Amino acid sequence: MGVTLLTFFLLHLAPGNLAQTLAGENAAPAQVARITHELGLDQPLYEQYGVWLGKLARGDLGFSYRRQASVASLIGERIGRTLLLMGTALLLSIVIAVPLGVYQAYKRNTLFDRVASGIVFIAWSMPTFWLGTMLIAMFAVQLHWSPVGGLQTIDTTAFDWRSRMAHLILPAITLAVVSLAGWSRYIRGSMVEQLQEDYIRTAIAKGLPIRAVLFHHTLRNALIPFITVLGGTIPALFGGAIITEQIFAYPGMGQLFWQSAADRDYFTLLGMTVITAVLVILGNLLADVLYGIADPRVRYD
Amino acid sequence: MIDARRVRIEPMAAISIAWIAIALLVCWIAPLLAHLDAYATDVAHAYAQPSLAHWLGTDGLGRDELARLLAGGRITLSVGIVAALVAMLIGTIYGALSGYYGGWFDSTLMRVVDVFLSVPTLFLLLFLAALFNGSVLTLMLVIGFTAWLGPSRLVRGEVLTLKERLYIEAARSAGASDPRIIFRHLVPNAMGTIITTTTFMVATAMLAETALSYLGIGIRLPTPSWGNLLSSAQSDIFARAYWLILPPGFAILISVCAFNFVGDWLRERQG
Repeated sequence: MGVTLLTFFLLHLAPGNLAQTLAGENAAPAQVARITHELGLDQPLYEQYGVWLGKLARGDLGFSYRRQASVASLIGERIGRTLLLMGTALLLSIVIAVPLGVYQAYKRNTLFDRVASGIVFIAWSMPTFWLGTMLIAMFAVQLHWSPVGGLQTIDTTAFDWRSRMAHLILPAITLAVVSLAGWSRYIRGSMVEQLQEDYIRTAIAKGLPIRAVLFHHTLRNALIPFITVLGGTIPALFGGAIITEQIFAYPGMGQLFWQSAADRDYFTLLGMTVITAVLVILGNLLADVLYGIADPRVRYD
Repeated sequence: MIDARRVRIEPMAAISIAWIAIALLVCWIAPLLAHLDAYATDVAHAYAQPSLAHWLGTDGLGRDELARLLAGGRITLSVGIVAALVAMLIGTIYGALSGYYGGWFDSTLMRVVDVFLSVPTLFLLLFLAALFNGSVLTLMLVIGFTAWLGPSRLVRGEVLTLKERLYIEAARSAGASDPRIIFRHLVPNAMGTIITTTTFMVATAMLAETALSYLGIGIRLPTPSWGNLLSSAQSDIFARAYWLILPPGFAILISVCAFNFVGDWLRERQG
């Protein structure tokens, strides 16, 4: 709700006449006036907002005059691809970050831990677009191991699973690296903290194998705050998706957002911001629910 | 744990500070000492490999890559630093007022922060940068305007604990006004947190600037920035001009790392 208000008024703050832009630089004034009227741009701002909000309540995200398609269809066409990319990246980072963080905490302050910490620190500061560029230069242009970019091979129009997967690998790695670094730092930190607790000493003293202590006792407690961190990373993942999709020419929501920002396609921008905000809020809600399941001590009133 | 980390982090922090100082010096002073023109084209020597005449080679229009790297550094570093200061200024005032007055005022202000945070930062940045396109100054303001949310929360948290201290009560009973308490007592005492956060914000702002310029919406060609140097280098890969992707990438990576390291080190020292 607040999000729609914010973005709506922010957009209309923009300099430049929308109708003029749509009609073209040399359009006749009468034509500009007609478009202005059709779009309701001659109404006061709060009324435009009301109309748009009313449509939104009925599930209508509006119409993109720039792309001559409804915003819902534009987003619907791309959202699956972006969620697939984000999901793959998310899975990849968890699968690497959690064991790495656990092992680093177990071997803390050894050479392994320091080298790993150093690499993770570099990855944490890594600009996504440079990493992506390097991956393309190395694996696509030099070694020809993977495609340069796109959704799937151009010469087939049919849906091709293998080609899609091949096109997903490099973008997913690029997107995964940034969150991976933050998470493994986080997990290492909370594991180290947990390992100093008395119950861990008890568990080791009673002769449990170290693997069981690490993964059943410590990790379970260390993961609880991590769930919240996970929920909070979703906005950053969307941001990363814009850059990643741009590097690899992957036609998803990020690319649509970038194009709409570049050519000021207001309704598409608004619609996408709303959808993203909803996804972010759902993510946080899911994190809260999972938090309650992982930690029975937490009660929501 | 703390002692082991301290030993390790201090030399790295020293190296980081040295890198930042050298980067600033070289970017601003080197062009005065040597003839380095970031805009002079020389198509006959396009895509020249690194040599004595052109230490980092030339780009597709025969422009000297080193000159462009330094000119880009002036832009990227100053945008990073100024945007971080803008963000901290807004964040500090906002957070301090929110934490000091508390109650419904505080919860309203923090709800606003929550709303902003549920929109991905890059969305906001793209919006604003696309709408108010153009100069370096607007880019600094746009980045500063999107980056103050995190800092405002931190400052608020700090103020919430500080305002319960006895010296604040003493100041109040001595008749100090609210603005005086906030800006002469609370903010100076939160300075540790503020400085640490500023260091991290410089790294964040540099990444934001380079990302926007990479996407073609921040600093626009022919004006160089480390971000748009990279995006042009990406198309140069297909001309096999591999040497062009490394310098701007390393420049961003090492500088961002350096600011993050200094931030980490300052935080450890406080903690």
